[in-house]
Amino acid sequence: MIWQDFNYALRLLSKKTGFTVLTTLVMATGIGISVFMFSFFNTVLFKALPFEDGETLVVISGSLQGKKSSSSINLHDYLSIRDNVQGLSEFGAYRNESVIVSTRDGARRYPAILAEANIFKLTRTEPILGRSFTQAENQKGAESVVVIGYDLWQNHFAGDKGVIKQRLKVNGTSHQIIGVMPQGYLFPNIAKMWLPLHEDANQLIRGDSGRIRGLAHLDKGISLADINNQLSLVMQKLAVKYPQTNSNISAYVTSIPGAGAREGLAVVYSMQAVALFILILASINVGNLLLSRAIERNKETAIRVALGAPRLRLISQMLWESTIICTVGALIGLLVMAWGLEITEGIVATFFSDPPAFWWKFGLDNYTLKLFFAIVIGTILVTGLLPAWKSSGGDFNAVLRDGTRGALGKKSGRLSKLLVISEIFISMTVLIATAVMVYASFMQSNKDIGAETENVLVANVLVTAYDSAEKKIQFVNTLQSRLENSAGISEVMISSALPGLFSLEANIAIEGQEYSNITNASYPSANYISIMPGSLAKLGVELRKGRYFDHSDDGLGKASVLVSESFALRHFPQQSAIDKRLRVIQKGSDKVQWLRIVGVVEHTIQGSRESESVPSIYRPYSQAPRAQITVAMKMAANPVLATKTLRKVLQSIDADLPSYQIETYEQSNNRITAPIRFISSLMALFALAALVLAASGIYGVMANTISQRTQEIGIKRALGADDEYITKEYLMTGIKLLLWGGVPGLLAGSFMGFAMSKTFGTGNAALVVIAVTMVVLIGSVVLFATYLPTKRALKLEPSQALHYQ
Amino acid sequence: MNNVIIKLENIKKVFYTDEVETHALSDINLTINKGEYISISGPSGCGKSTLLSLLGLLDTNTSGLYKLSNHDVSDISKKERARIRNREIGFIFQSFNLISDLDVSENVELPLTYRNDLTKAQRQQMVQESLEKVNMAHRSNHYPAQLSGGQQQRIAIARAIVGKPSIILADEPTGNLDSKNAEAVMQLLDMLHSEGATICMVTHDPRSAERAQRNIDILDGQIIADNLQNHYVNNDIAV
Repeated sequence: MIWQDFNYALRLLSKKTGFTVLTTLVMATGIGISVFMFSFFNTVLFKALPFEDGETLVVISGSLQGKKSSSSINLHDYLSIRDNVQGLSEFGAYRNESVIVSTRDGARRYPAILAEANIFKLTRTEPILGRSFTQAENQKGAESVVVIGYDLWQNHFAGDKGVIKQRLKVNGTSHQIIGVMPQGYLFPNIAKMWLPLHEDANQLIRGDSGRIRGLAHLDKGISLADINNQLSLVMQKLAVKYPQTNSNISAYVTSIPGAGAREGLAVVYSMQAVALFILILASINVGNLLLSRAIERNKETAIRVALGAPRLRLISQMLWESTIICTVGALIGLLVMAWGLEITEGIVATFFSDPPAFWWKFGLDNYTLKLFFAIVIGTILVTGLLPAWKSSGGDFNAVLRDGTRGALGKKSGRLSKLLVISEIFISMTVLIATAVMVYASFMQSNKDIGAETENVLVANVLVTAYDSAEKKIQFVNTLQSRLENSAGISEVMISSALPGLFSLEANIAIEGQEYSNITNASYPSANYISIMPGSLAKLGVELRKGRYFDHSDDGLGKASVLVSESFALRHFPQQSAIDKRLRVIQKGSDKVQWLRIVGVVEHTIQGSRESESVPSIYRPYSQAPRAQITVAMKMAANPVLATKTLRKVLQSIDADLPSYQIETYEQSNNRITAPIRFISSLMALFALAALVLAASGIYGVMANTISQRTQEIGIKRALGADDEYITKEYLMTGIKLLLWGGVPGLLAGSFMGFAMSKTFGTGNAALVVIAVTMVVLIGSVVLFATYLPTKRALKLEPSQALHYQ
Repeated sequence: MNNVIIKLENIKKVFYTDEVETHALSDINLTINKGEYISISGPSGCGKSTLLSLLGLLDTNTSGLYKLSNHDVSDISKKERARIRNREIGFIFQSFNLISDLDVSENVELPLTYRNDLTKAQRQQMVQESLEKVNMAHRSNHYPAQLSGGQQQRIAIARAIVGKPSIILADEPTGNLDSKNAEAVMQLLDMLHSEGATICMVTHDPRSAERAQRNIDILDGQIIADNLQNHYVNNDIAV
């Protein structure tokens, strides 16, 4: 019997190939998009780490003025949290650091972790060779030891099992290798080696204590919210006790993957909601198409009822159609999605200069497959059960008696209205949210960073090995002069952060200004950049007032500063900034050094484009040297030659100083906007899918509804309604549906759009323009979808319309 | 001449479907005077409903002249046809054709809503009068599905007369009714006629046709007989 029904469903579907292909593709789109989106974010943010108890492992990070950031916390605060928060156990602390490893093959930079001794125990993972740290090795002054990662072991030691106890030069200091971690172990993120933290809070004062991130396991039955409430209380108490260092500072706990979301969780949920909405939209469309078919086949159903078919049999027979459509659609969606996830892994890798987090393995994992099957079953029931139930419960006597199609009558009309309202609501919501994202991406990708990026090669160099400021300055001076005299390089710019790239932010105090609060948070902040004289001009950052740095500024004791135009406008709105004085607030330091503004330069954007309005201040490198520098070289020839030259020059100055992340300046900048461009490309695709699904869906439902009302139109015309009246009447019905679905959709879309515009800094004016545009767009779709079928129905003579079947 | 409501001259109606040309009506000449009660009879497919559609401006004639209230309506705009249907013609259909989403009073009010010259109060007054005439005022808030076939047809009659049309066109008004309800509907039409209404009714029920004062027989799209009923002749009612 089941086989017979299945065969019959197949026969019906094969008879209407257009319908079958359309509905299958609609389902493929809906299922593919939603499963992809949920799988993507699950992998990035919600997946449990692949260790025993990985799901209970959490990270404690810092927040400033209620804003979650990925910032670390003070070691003293961490200890207070460890002692006072209930529900967390096995605490551990770590800090990310870039280190330089020198081997016979040369020096290379590696991402490393400085951690407490229990770092590996937290992940229930033992070294495959040797051992992990001991508590004694974590003490200051203990022998320098290091646990290396599998890749380093293979690449530098050729997998030699005798590597234990061998020496490795890390940041210029010899370390004893005590262990090798298993393949793929990069905890907590991308670490290639692990060193003891070597910090004892008892030997440090609060202001000077190191910044770390906390790790812990969540006890059974305890939620993250419980812990976060406790953390807030602990941090509030600390803020009262230590206002100078702790005001406006708090801490929060998340899973390790979840820490990546920070303030962007609203965007993530919005995107998941968009994906879910698209699935619902696809289900409504397919459900509606199946319902139309069920209505068309009302007479056939009535005959079956007359012949004694039980209702359940009728329903099961109709369910086969949705089962076939949803299953085939889902399989197509699954294939496309699997391909999408595969290429996503490659795309995502381009967002980072280092490899992405180790758990970011996109593909058909358990979660994705479970979700896929749940969605397939859900869509079969949603798209098939309702039409089957409705069409199997009509007034079949009436159908058999006079052959009308309107046996579903009023209820069917209400259902159609509900479908259109739902489609309008969903499409309005999805389109506003996605349009904000696409707009944000466009604006960010096309923002003028304030510097010329063409034909420039950039590279990072870590000078941590030089412990004194003088050595750092000398190294940078030598590097610049040798590069300038090398073949293939026409100009050299050196800075701690080039325009467009991430920079350190610092709190600033302006001379003569009063700051009511003694905390750091009350001071204005600015990008704080060290730069070699001449670099700004060479980068095309124009001088607005005063002068650039020159060699008269050289000298550690000197105190000159350049400010960006945005800084000058913000802090000296009615006057010239030249010769005004400011100082950089240094945590826990009583030292006051006033810096005199010698020039005002064009505003540049540093780092994420959302923070474009953050002003900048510049110090000559010779006054404020940094451990990490970026070298930018204007290429006279090609990047290969420039790279070779740089490596050769560095080798000639100090063989233990590697350059890394060598790429063009444009590539560096593109990487910063790559994530949002990727996500917005996805969103644009979703928006297109939503628009096509919504337009076809709204048209389908309206056409079906109006077609069912052809006879009613005939009656009205017989009673004297002219075409214009009927057209207006139906357009008014369309407008009413537009209002019913559009107003809540506008609110929901604006809410999601607001969350996104807040995150991406696109502003409310853009949101309003987008919302209005979408109202016009969806409004046009609804009116068009109402007008066309009405016009078609009016083409019939009233006498024909009256007998329309 | 002032009494003539409808005048058809050499009316022809041809339906074109793909390669087939169907002559539904040919050389129809017919005059209907004010106050007449006419039945149109004939076998299925003879063209009687097509004739009624042409008379009601629900369809257009292929050729010939159609004058309604002395105006040529053969070639007028769709808008004007709609206006005439609304003001001059009242329809009664076999399958009632009430709108299921509207209640009884809304159904009856429907043709009045297409006019711009009536206030809501006037419309309600006219609906009330019309419903009272068909004895359905007590059901004004019911929906069609809550009524019997006979009651639905009475509502359809109320709707047909609410705008005080020049002529009522009825297409098999008893076709979907049992004999008891059919008789009630026919009595209602008799009453309307006695009050001066002009009625043109398509029927193939001889008993219904007998109640009209004039019988027109159609066969293969042509009028083959046009007779006054004997009892009307005997009663010397002016035609």
